[in-house]
Amino acid sequence: MERREVLRALAVLAITPRWLQAQQNTNAAPVLPAPVPWTQGLNPLTPLPHTVAEDAVAQTVPAYFSSTQRRTLSRLADALVPRTAQHPGALDAGTPEFLDFLIGHSPAARGGLYTSGLDWLEAQAQASFKRPFAQLDAAQVESLVKPWLRTWMTDHPPTQTHADFINIAHADIRTATINSQVWFAALDAHARENTLQLYWSPIEPDLYAMRPESMHTRPVPGNLMQPVRPKAE
Amino acid sequence: MMSKKVDVLIIGSGHAGGMAAKVLTERGVECLMLNAGPVADVTRQAREESAYQLPFRGFKPPGKLEHVFQANEFNTSVWVDEQEVPYTFDPAHPYNWVRVRLFGGRSLFWSRQSFRLSDYEFKAKSHDGFGEDWPLDHAELSPYYARVEEIFRVVGALDGPPQMPDGNFILDDAPWSGSMQRFRKAAKSLGVPLCKQRRATGRDGLASSVNLLLPDAERTGRLTSIENAVVREITTDKNTGQPNGCRFVDRLSHREMEVQARVVVLAAGTLESTRLLLNSGLANSSGLVGRYLCDQIYGAGLVCSVPEARGSRGDKSLMGGGAIIPRFRNITDKSSKFLRGYALNVTSATGPLGASNFTEYGEALDRKMAEYAGSGFHMTIMGEVLARYENHVRINRQKTDAWGIPVLHIETQYTDNEYNMAADAVDTMSQVAHDAGFEVLASNKVPNPPGYSIHEVGTCRMGNDRKQSVLNRWSQSHDHKNLWVVDGAGFTSAGWQNPTMTILALAMRAAEHLADEMKQGNV
Repeated sequence: MERREVLRALAVLAITPRWLQAQQNTNAAPVLPAPVPWTQGLNPLTPLPHTVAEDAVAQTVPAYFSSTQRRTLSRLADALVPRTAQHPGALDAGTPEFLDFLIGHSPAARGGLYTSGLDWLEAQAQASFKRPFAQLDAAQVESLVKPWLRTWMTDHPPTQTHADFINIAHADIRTATINSQVWFAALDAHARENTLQLYWSPIEPDLYAMRPESMHTRPVPGNLMQPVRPKAE
Repeated sequence: MMSKKVDVLIIGSGHAGGMAAKVLTERGVECLMLNAGPVADVTRQAREESAYQLPFRGFKPPGKLEHVFQANEFNTSVWVDEQEVPYTFDPAHPYNWVRVRLFGGRSLFWSRQSFRLSDYEFKAKSHDGFGEDWPLDHAELSPYYARVEEIFRVVGALDGPPQMPDGNFILDDAPWSGSMQRFRKAAKSLGVPLCKQRRATGRDGLASSVNLLLPDAERTGRLTSIENAVVREITTDKNTGQPNGCRFVDRLSHREMEVQARVVVLAAGTLESTRLLLNSGLANSSGLVGRYLCDQIYGAGLVCSVPEARGSRGDKSLMGGGAIIPRFRNITDKSSKFLRGYALNVTSATGPLGASNFTEYGEALDRKMAEYAGSGFHMTIMGEVLARYENHVRINRQKTDAWGIPVLHIETQYTDNEYNMAADAVDTMSQVAHDAGFEVLASNKVPNPPGYSIHEVGTCRMGNDRKQSVLNRWSQSHDHKNLWVVDGAGFTSAGWQNPTMTILALAMRAAEHLADEMKQGNV
């Protein structure tokens, strides 16, 4: 570039308003005749509305397990993590309903473990006590459940049929209950602080990858959005 | 449009890429670093939450990261999404490929255990006849290890047997806790050594490329870095066939870009570097790119209880502290059941013990957990997986990632050598725990799937024979003098040791040699 042209360019820059030099949003909506442009106003001084976890006021709508399976799971959850003087129980935490949601949205193998496991428990109850599992007393539940409890290390639950379901369900019921809103609410201030962990939000997610031309690499449509339903009763 | 030919293109920003950038820029070389993912900013993208506040109560979001056992709902966003960057395998032989593409890569999250390989690894074939020797030995790499240990501020004791060479440590002279002393005595009577842990302390609580290596490179003014640059292939000069840069795709806009370079340094992590070579059709005159994938078996181990510490009665004199049992099999003796050997991480813990350590439920479980609280004593295996030709990766042309890049097919499985090793570890440690007066609560002899240790190495092994290796003794391609692979892909064997210190030392050594070669006009 000639020196004269450089000087001319610099002179133009010097008299151009700052807003014209700024990078432009080419898709911006035309400025409407409003008192304040749409996106202005929110700033670091804006008070943030206070919200609560949904479980504090609302119930999960169950959609996955059959009604018998649901009743069996509720009885099992109540037996494995009952309400005590020290802490709320699985039923207080809405754990059966939460697991209906979680398992219903999980890969088929996990769902199958639960549905077959719950059906097996119900069949055992009928065979042993001629009553639904949901109506068994504590001793009867223990006679069906405790023989299958195993000790196991992280990532290596038992693989034996029935022991797999009982031990995995036990761990899931405990986690869903201990990580619930009612459990947290029952903790003292120090214990509440100990529950805090660093949670990472999505870090610059690639929205383009969700476009139709990239869908071949995405989960099967419906896999994450709709529960996989087991057979009707 | 401006197009600049850079001296050295570095693909990857973890420990290997960071070390290459530091060494090269400090020697006057202009470098361009490409990283496939974004910069993670903990002040903007992370916050403290309780599990009840999260959508899935702390459970891993269903259907996500099925092969990342380390993932939970809190950290889901830091791992590579298996749907976004898929890989394939025979369902009967799963592989847990655990990846991080944030700037700094897996150096942001590693366990920081810091060991040197010994000549029992570098010269393993000479020792037991299996596999290949490395084209270098501990004495040659030792000065580089020492400098890496200084940068990473490794804390340890000078208590290593020959199979765990001592290093340039900040000395750990803390006394053993009582439970460790008992365990150590019981182990010694069975010929099992117990040494202090060796751990990189770094600075400000982090020992990563982003805080220990990249700032030095940036200070020189010779490092240019681009985030979200997903490299599609290494490009070659039409006339010479030699690498001359790369094509990459902007992760967010999917704009295709290309850049030219005199030298290409691959540091994308073992399997991503290998995937790039395979997708580019480079460096493979030996046919061995992708072969000899190995790592370490994890997952087998024991959970014990120290009776005197139950009910949180154990104070610091009894409980607490970590230790390492370095490999002790096949050093002076010869096992009939397996080659090589395993190490064990040993931890004396003061917190609660998990519910799965007890066959109780309900209030009985509450009582049991209170009774055993504070008495945990854990042992977990790190066992060498043999480098076998048949354990390999190749390109699956039928499947691509979110940016249309063909993915890897991973074909690897453990053998009786690994399974027997795991069983021996659990049997031996059960005996030690029993002799120490501990109660064994739970044990497991089944290794996690391959890949779980996040110590995948090999697939571009180094060697002196260009027909039997991909890289020479300087981490330089036998086929292309301006193509270097400085991450774990160059390993000739896995060893039992966490590979980070060796990756760093090899990257430092390679980068110094590359700078010299460039100065002399050889590259």
